[in-house]
Amino acid sequence: MASTARRTAVLAVSTTAAVSLALTGCARSESQNSAPAGGGPAASAAASQAAGPTCSIDQAGYPKIDPRSAVIGFSQSEKEDNPFRIAETQSIKDQAAKLGIASDHLLTTNAQSDLNKQISDIKSLLDRGAQLLIVAPLNSDGLQPAFDAAKAKKVPVVTIDRKVTSTPCTDYLTFIGSNFVQQGQRAAAEMVRVTGGTGKVAILLGSSGNNVTTDRTQGFKDGIASAKGLSVVAEQTGDFDRSKGQTVMEQLIQSNPDITAVYAENDEMGIGAANALKAAGKQPGKDVKIVSVDGTRNAVQLIANGGYNAVIESNPRFGPLAFQVLTDFEGGKPVAQNVVISDSQYDETNAAQKVADAY
Amino acid sequence: MITVDRPTRTRSVASKQLFATVLQRQGAAVVLVLVVAVSWLTFPNFGTVDNLRDLALQSSFLAVIALGMTFVIITGGIDLSVGSVYALGGVLAAYGSQWGFFGALLLPLVACGLIGLINGFLVAKTGMAPFIVTLATLLFARGLLLAISHEGSTTYKIAADSAFLTLGRGTFLGIGYPVYIAAILFVVGGIVLRRTAFGDTVFATGGAENSALLMGLPVARTKMAVYTMSGVLAGFAGALTAAYLESGVTVIGVGTELDAISVVVIGGTLLTGGAGSVLGTVVGVLLRDVIQNIINQIGTLDSNYQAVVSGGFLLAVVVVQRVLARNRERR
Repeated sequence: MASTARRTAVLAVSTTAAVSLALTGCARSESQNSAPAGGGPAASAAASQAAGPTCSIDQAGYPKIDPRSAVIGFSQSEKEDNPFRIAETQSIKDQAAKLGIASDHLLTTNAQSDLNKQISDIKSLLDRGAQLLIVAPLNSDGLQPAFDAAKAKKVPVVTIDRKVTSTPCTDYLTFIGSNFVQQGQRAAAEMVRVTGGTGKVAILLGSSGNNVTTDRTQGFKDGIASAKGLSVVAEQTGDFDRSKGQTVMEQLIQSNPDITAVYAENDEMGIGAANALKAAGKQPGKDVKIVSVDGTRNAVQLIANGGYNAVIESNPRFGPLAFQVLTDFEGGKPVAQNVVISDSQYDETNAAQKVADAY
Repeated sequence: MITVDRPTRTRSVASKQLFATVLQRQGAAVVLVLVVAVSWLTFPNFGTVDNLRDLALQSSFLAVIALGMTFVIITGGIDLSVGSVYALGGVLAAYGSQWGFFGALLLPLVACGLIGLINGFLVAKTGMAPFIVTLATLLFARGLLLAISHEGSTTYKIAADSAFLTLGRGTFLGIGYPVYIAAILFVVGGIVLRRTAFGDTVFATGGAENSALLMGLPVARTKMAVYTMSGVLAGFAGALTAAYLESGVTVIGVGTELDAISVVVIGGTLLTGGAGSVLGTVVGVLLRDVIQNIINQIGTLDSNYQAVVSGGFLLAVVVVQRVLARNRERR
């Protein structure tokens, strides 16, 4: 019985992922990432979710609502002043429009990086009659009061991009996000490919103290472990920031002139590194290989121009998947408590034609 | 204080002066009443019990911080450390909750009170500018927070059965405890400021520090007291927030000092010191949160307009204050 339920869930999630790919029009050959929630390290933080449990409407005890006619609230966490957040919000709006949801039925708020504001935003969405919620949490902890308010009104909450520590299916319905360790592993595979498996790698780390940085680092190191010719000679934080990435890279070139490759944990730092290399008279993309994670248009354009090697996408387009999960859930299907969004990948073979897909 | 001893001044100047004073002291209250009345009629969801309850609860945390800030600003000082101290208070409360209710409460109060005392000591005894002293403790408190939370990667949770949680999550007559706590603190703060010798010295220190010194008032001790109080209140607000969020969240409090300063000034407290009221601060906090709430109610408006409106309003208030001050000098 349990195994049947799990198989159904796996099927549901694969279908969901496939549907979302079709909808976004960015179906990719590398589909390993659309694998359903499993023992991925993103889930390992809460052991209870590691096996891919599901949540159904009977189990959660919510009323049945048709998402197409419901009032839907979306709470964004940070200012839409970076490509990821802009694409994320736009994706939710686009998908709602595509499903024919009236524009006054989609309520949106932006917490401006203020946790207290996000709580009051979510409460105010509920007060204004939101029946379904999509939340991009600002922080893994601290949103409990908002979840409690949603629970009291029997409103299911789909969380996207950052995983919260509250209980799925009870406090919130499900989490949709990237598998950051896998992003690191895929970046490592690309690194091995573009360097031919030999070289000295510098890692530009993201901001310290968050799981994106630790996961992308761990995945990358695991991934290059098998390539004996590749060694990590330097690791420094660039705080996910372009100018810091550039400064750090300038210093690294001074202290380790023989660096042959850079792994940047986001595109902005990678672009900063490319600038630093150019300033030092080296050719980024050729003398020194660069691989990063994100999928912003600037970085993908650099690949197309030959000054960058590969980018693993961190997909911000949660709209299709989020609405699919809500539709499935309200239609009585069990949904996975942990849904992994599929991430694309850009390299010299596809960057020029896919640059329009980048955000 | 306003007229009487200046027979040469014309009636119109006097009434202008009076108008400006009223505008500065009560302007925020008038705007608040207008804004609330209009939104009540315009937005069907604004006047609902749920919404008002959420508004009150949301305002209470900043209100507690702004209460301490009111005292500091009236003495002519400023406390930039409160945002970091607020966040530190939350983390310490969550950390201290392993030793029960009093651990969760006392640890942040003592630690944040000490930071406030250091602020007060340096400002009062060395004559250093409050701006730079409290900027230093802003960095210090944020650094300490990052150190105990392992660069923000460890979030201390408060056990679900801890009595401390009630402080933030409990309700009486449907209204959250933090609202009552903030209200009590403001009543006490108002009495201290208006009805005690300490309160008089607070005003005298900000109004004319040299005269206060010549009169033999304990200026240094008063400054130390207000900065300590500001630290304790910011730490307490952090503890309340931790109880509300069930954890010591590390990302809160960034820029909160500026929110606190702006609500105090909007509430009619003179940034130059010497005048102000805790009631004005309540109005300032409410105005900020009501505007935020309305922007959400409108829905189509970009949330950045919150900052635009607050900034515009703050500017207007400061301009009025400046005009007032100039009129006074001219007398």
